[in-house]
Amino acid sequence: MNYSLRWPRTLASRLSLIFLICLILAQALSFGAQYYERYESAKNTMLGNLETDVSTSIAILDRLPADERASWLHQLQRNNYGYLLSAGERGTPMSMEMPDAPIAMASIMDALGKEHALTFTEIPGPRKHFQVHLKLSDGNPLTIDVFPAMMPLSPWLPMVLLGQLALMIACTWLAVRIAIRPLTRLVEAVDNLDPNAHPIQLDEKGPTEVAHAAKAFNAMQARIAAYLKERMQLLAAISHDLQTPITRMKLRAEFMDDSAEKDKLWNDLSEIEHLVREGVAYARSVHGATEDSRRTDLDSFLDSLVFDYQDMGKQVQLSGKSTTVIDTRPHALRRVLVNLTDNALKFAGAAELLVEKKTDGSVSVKVMDRGPGIAEEELAQVMQPFYRVENSRNRSTGGTGLGLAIAQQLALAIGGSLTLSNREGGGLCAELKLKHPL
Amino acid sequence: MEHVDHILIVDDDREIRELVGNYLKKNGLRTTVVADGRQMRTFLESTPVDLIVMDIMMPGDDGLTLCRELRSGKHKATPILMLTARNDETDRIIGLEMGADDYLVKPFAARELLARINAVLRRTRMLPPNLVVTETSRLLAFGRWKLDTSARHLLDSDGTMVALSGAEYRLLRVFLDHPQRVLNRDQLLNLTQGRDADLFDRSIDLLVSRLRQRLLDDAREPAYIKTVRSEGYVFSLPVEIVGAPA
Repeated sequence: MNYSLRWPRTLASRLSLIFLICLILAQALSFGAQYYERYESAKNTMLGNLETDVSTSIAILDRLPADERASWLHQLQRNNYGYLLSAGERGTPMSMEMPDAPIAMASIMDALGKEHALTFTEIPGPRKHFQVHLKLSDGNPLTIDVFPAMMPLSPWLPMVLLGQLALMIACTWLAVRIAIRPLTRLVEAVDNLDPNAHPIQLDEKGPTEVAHAAKAFNAMQARIAAYLKERMQLLAAISHDLQTPITRMKLRAEFMDDSAEKDKLWNDLSEIEHLVREGVAYARSVHGATEDSRRTDLDSFLDSLVFDYQDMGKQVQLSGKSTTVIDTRPHALRRVLVNLTDNALKFAGAAELLVEKKTDGSVSVKVMDRGPGIAEEELAQVMQPFYRVENSRNRSTGGTGLGLAIAQQLALAIGGSLTLSNREGGGLCAELKLKHPL
Repeated sequence: MEHVDHILIVDDDREIRELVGNYLKKNGLRTTVVADGRQMRTFLESTPVDLIVMDIMMPGDDGLTLCRELRSGKHKATPILMLTARNDETDRIIGLEMGADDYLVKPFAARELLARINAVLRRTRMLPPNLVVTETSRLLAFGRWKLDTSARHLLDSDGTMVALSGAEYRLLRVFLDHPQRVLNRDQLLNLTQGRDADLFDRSIDLLVSRLRQRLLDDAREPAYIKTVRSEGYVFSLPVEIVGAPA
């Protein structure tokens, strides 16, 4: 059996543990000191009393006529000791040198040793019990029957101790709670930190350290939002300023005579235009939502998307039915699915959409193709902006490397998740999972 | 003498408006180019035009403001085609909401602009709509449905969005613009082929049956779109314009 002690994981339990152990130790120390002090003084008083009492009692018994002694025994009887007019019981002899010799022995020895020859015997039994044998001056035996014991503790003392323990636990809990709460709040705020949404300002009140942390957090939040805004503005400005010259160039190109050069120029312009658009779209997708959520009939939504492709002569098929109404941002959802479908069309020439309602109420929309797929080790990276797979999906197939990144960002923004996997038999499967609908 | 369509181009970029003007002129249209809203107003005072091509981002009054102004004045019937530099769907929708008939995202190809101009002209000439949709009242109500003409989707009785494909929307819009009037297949095809030539070998009949499904209309006993034997189709319910939801 090997129980290793483990340091508890949460700060709250660690703090509680430290507080509690320290408090209990301190409490035990002060209780122990008091108890010892009380014990010492009680012992001295008791032994002092014992000495005078025993010597007085023996002197009385000694002087009484032998037939009257029995009637006095009752009055000389004390809590812990009494007198027997007999040789007493048999027991093991004791000596003063024994390490566990009761201190009462020494006191009795001091009180009577000079006038009487004493023998001590220990009587075995559940309680500590010894007897002192002596002979009175008329030769009759006398036995002092001693049950050495301290004054018993009051019966309410354990209750007080338990009460103290409970008080300590309560105080520890309260203190730890008060100390931890701001930290918990901070963690919550960081967890929910979404630079796109309206920032949640932390309360800057409370103890100095907490107020400082809250201020620092709020400032950091504002800085992140400012950076994002700046990036967004930069991208938007660049793209806007590029659109005018690109428009001019395209218009001019249309006045050129038909030639291979014109086509090449046209394609280059289209590529620049595409990059600019995707760049802005990506910035927007990261920067988040201007669009409101609304109740959307998912089946008609997917139908219309697929029909739009079919009407353009594209090989896009839809199977499955969800029969669900979801609460979503339709443009964002459409953009996610369009990006995935465009990708499938680009690399496989055809796309299959499959919608399923899961038993837990979530909905999964899969966009699948029979194209070259993506190497397993690259699956995670392709969602990074501007990442392109080296072999099959390279620059020559066009594209900006932003399509999947945008899809991923928007999927997150609408509370869904996007995962890519390779299909059995070749091809890529992009699965968009949407959380529990209405 | 044959009528030559007169197109007014409003764009603050001199090169773009002249390039566009020249291209359209080369393709048999009459064009006038102006730089801003002020010049546009002055020109329209004296000369009516058949269609206005307008940039949305301009110094001074922007395209949306001008569009709204035109729609509330005496030029409310003049078709407007917006040129927008923005590429966000919500922005495009605002353009349409403000009363533009169509839009084109910059950078665009001149030949596409020409195709759009012709499509808009054809559409507005052939059958001018009975109802003028404006930005404040953009919902068309019929039966248990409402059509949101700016977001281009249906709303059912409890406000759930039912999406429409591009072709479905255009066909429904044609029906709603001309309710209780028999439209033959050629008319429907012409009116529906608004934008890209995306009715790629799909007959009107297939599109009608798709639309019926979307409206939960029973094909054997349709309540919304009725078949008129050997003539075409008719949208059989009255349509009214209602205010936009808040």
